[in-house]
Amino acid sequence: MSFSNLKLSRRKFLAASGVTLAAASVANGLGTIKAVANEHAEGKSKSLGRKFVPSSCAMCVNKCGLVAEVVNGKIKKLNPNHKFFKSRSMLCARGNAGAEEPYNPDRLKAPLLRVGKRGEGQFKEISWDEAFKIVAKNLDEIKRKYENRSSVVFYSTEGFQEEFFHFLVQSYGSTNTVRHPTLCLASVIQGWSSVFGTYPDADMSQAEFVIMLGANRAESIVTPDTIDFQKNRPKGQQIVYVDPRYTFTATKADKWYPIKPGTDLAFILAITNVIVEEGLYDKEFVEKFTYGFDKLKEHIKPYTPEWAEKECEIPASEIRWTAHQFAKYAPRSLVYPGRRTSWYVNDTYMRRACGILTAIVGSWDVPGGIVPKSSIPLAKHDPVFPFFEMAEGRLDAKIGSLDSILPKDERTAAGLPTDSCTFLGEKDGSWITFREAALKGNVYPIKGMITYKQNPVESAPNRAKTLKMMEQMDFICTIDIQMSETAWYSDLVLPESTYLERWDPCHSLSGIWPIVTFRQPVIEPLFNTKSMHEIAAGIVNEMLKIPTLWDDADPADVEDFKATLVEEILNQPMEEFIKHQLSKYPGAFEQIKKEGVFYLSDKPQYGKMRKDNTRFKTKSGKIELYNLKYEEKGLDPLPVYRRPSQPEPGKYRFILGRHAWNTHAGTQNNGYLHQIEKENILWINTKEALRLGIKNGDYVIVKSKVGEQKVKAYVTEKIRPDCVFYSHGFGRISKGLSLVYNKGASQAAILEDKIEPISGNAAMHETFVEIKKA
Amino acid sequence: MNEKRYAIVLDTKKCLNCKACTVACRVENEVPHEDGAYRIWVTALELQGKFPDLHQDFEPSQCQHCQNTPCESVCPTRATYKTPEGVVLVDYDKCILCKACMTACPYDARFVHEHHKAIDKCTFCYHRLPEGREPACVETCPTKVRVFGDLNDPNSQVSKLLDTNRYYRLKEDRNTNPRLYYIIK
Repeated sequence: MSFSNLKLSRRKFLAASGVTLAAASVANGLGTIKAVANEHAEGKSKSLGRKFVPSSCAMCVNKCGLVAEVVNGKIKKLNPNHKFFKSRSMLCARGNAGAEEPYNPDRLKAPLLRVGKRGEGQFKEISWDEAFKIVAKNLDEIKRKYENRSSVVFYSTEGFQEEFFHFLVQSYGSTNTVRHPTLCLASVIQGWSSVFGTYPDADMSQAEFVIMLGANRAESIVTPDTIDFQKNRPKGQQIVYVDPRYTFTATKADKWYPIKPGTDLAFILAITNVIVEEGLYDKEFVEKFTYGFDKLKEHIKPYTPEWAEKECEIPASEIRWTAHQFAKYAPRSLVYPGRRTSWYVNDTYMRRACGILTAIVGSWDVPGGIVPKSSIPLAKHDPVFPFFEMAEGRLDAKIGSLDSILPKDERTAAGLPTDSCTFLGEKDGSWITFREAALKGNVYPIKGMITYKQNPVESAPNRAKTLKMMEQMDFICTIDIQMSETAWYSDLVLPESTYLERWDPCHSLSGIWPIVTFRQPVIEPLFNTKSMHEIAAGIVNEMLKIPTLWDDADPADVEDFKATLVEEILNQPMEEFIKHQLSKYPGAFEQIKKEGVFYLSDKPQYGKMRKDNTRFKTKSGKIELYNLKYEEKGLDPLPVYRRPSQPEPGKYRFILGRHAWNTHAGTQNNGYLHQIEKENILWINTKEALRLGIKNGDYVIVKSKVGEQKVKAYVTEKIRPDCVFYSHGFGRISKGLSLVYNKGASQAAILEDKIEPISGNAAMHETFVEIKKA
Repeated sequence: MNEKRYAIVLDTKKCLNCKACTVACRVENEVPHEDGAYRIWVTALELQGKFPDLHQDFEPSQCQHCQNTPCESVCPTRATYKTPEGVVLVDYDKCILCKACMTACPYDARFVHEHHKAIDKCTFCYHRLPEGREPACVETCPTKVRVFGDLNDPNSQVSKLLDTNRYYRLKEDRNTNPRLYYIIK
């Protein structure tokens, strides 16, 4: 539609569009963006006038396209980028609230050096030069004192600049990089890959029958799945949603099964049983592409719907109905793989079972089914790093460090690995296992900790243990945009520029709709901050001034390193990096700057892994219903159900979940999002609340083996009586987060540190709690 | 007729209660971080049923841009007025904060904007319209619950939706003739 002929009919109306506002700038009661922008940025900006700058969002992991409206150097609004078809012309609450990030009053504005005791919050501002020298000096001292570069751990999470953080790690030579996957999705990747050799996507845009197990897509936004599941929902699509909570996704589903927590595997096995026993599987597909169907057929026999009903508390008739529908709509039927799957100690087997069920009905690489990801290849940089003699293997790979997390006899009884994690990610590690090993100081000590864009104190279970691990460090440095808990307990805090103030490299977002995105500054940095790229360059350049940091490497290696990394990448502007990434595609750099997106096709691609000669990345080269590698490792090659541990009488299972307006523990201190949720609340079933004498709005104490928290009760029918829930990211202990400090309850403080030992994922639904009135 | 008549048609069945519209509106229109200061909101309607047979709907709401405007008729200074396209606006300079309009509004769509020292509410993002841009809530909505357009144009998406769907409007018994139409599916 066009409004170009329309004229503003009343001049006074202009008041609402900000013209009058800018003249009368009073901080109190003004939109935060404008207030802080006026306070800090007025006169700094060189760019007058109004412009629209495309870039991509960083308020969660989806990287949706955005177009920033910038007026006189200040962000007025972030809007969806309509050309960025993967995010389907939308920007969610967080994406919109991102406009406040650069202007947030709690931003870190300059490098800070601790002056009081750790955790006291006493810091002084220092220059970047000093800060880089301090990091380089500490890295050198730790390397010399412990004769081991791996004595420094580097924590990070995904993001466009993480690559530069890893360049810094490799420049130093520690093998201990611990990333986010084992607090999130390591088990779903492991489980689905054990069947298909890859972690695929779900084609929600064309699926006709969908089973979603705890994948709360309405509240935990994944673009484009969340949007396709409602906006582009195919006519007649049916969604079966399985979750102990009645979430917003449940309100949209055709069926909601409030499953007994921890029994999802029984539900999936019973559906598989019906499909196999009644011969409803895709015989041709099974014959041609899969390995081990005969063994599955035997294995699945005892798992009848009648058996599963007793485990899951879902009627056998409903399980049978689900199986029949699933087979009827195949191959346009799927079990949605999910994202954060750090649930139970059996999680990899559960995900494996989902993959197996999908495979036997032939829902593979077809419209409406499970589809392997496609991507757009970018030109890679290939810097050479020195090989350092004073580095040892990963700490979490070296020892039987699972002992204190899950006793050996329990693991044997559960058919789980008895040593360390079976499939430890070389770059990701296993978060909880690593911390356990670090606390023991077993094999070698961990004495340095450098963290980028991650807040382990609040994101990892058992906060007390993380703080204990930090106590033993000689040096802790954290790079972030606000004073996270981890920053609060650090010796040195380095402020990064926000995603709206910097260049970020291109990123090929793989999936059914592969697309390339990047970031360019929509405004100039407001404060004395730098990107991770600039921070890595600063530290590495200082490191090169300290000869003892390089004495266990071949000098020729060091020269190559200087040429290929330091000069070619770190000391160059980011634009050069991006131009190289896109060098295969003439005109792409100009296009992405102008439109915020680059792609080869906007049509989904199907069928590349359904060809006759397809070799899957599994041992047999086929889709492994029966996994040969698992057999070799002494694991169950087929998913075996074992009843999950249950709460003692009077206790409840604590379960986790997400909201559409916060990302993990990272966005609660944003004014717009804080407006939506000011403190979290404990969901407790009406009957149980009555029994405990708890009324809606009462404060209660939630107590587990590792900690306790005080939180407001929300008495509701929307949760089963045997479990309780509250959301992530509240009850914060950093006084630098003024909106959420001490508000509501922290999950990290009460979650026990159990793990799923095949993938090394944290098992965050294995904590039982007592509830009493505060 | 050349004149435009703006309206929003909503398919609330698609609403995820994700609050994207609310935040987009707050940023676009510089609504301060104050309790009760909303131009637009989404209500989770009362939960129906007992565990495990539950049902819940969401209802986005805002100024309904009524054609029979109780707010306008009670305004002593004519601060509230209607544009030729039927958009109800507030002239901040004329508003004396008597709050008569707040009392008269059946939709509770108005609030005191502490900075403007005036009553504020949804404007259909009237300032965006001359550039051919949609209201911020409409543009950002993930599932496109909201469709904005001209009722006088029979080919507009709003006209087509109203031609082919049953719909209701909020508090029709008040005879306010709102310009927000909720599709029944």
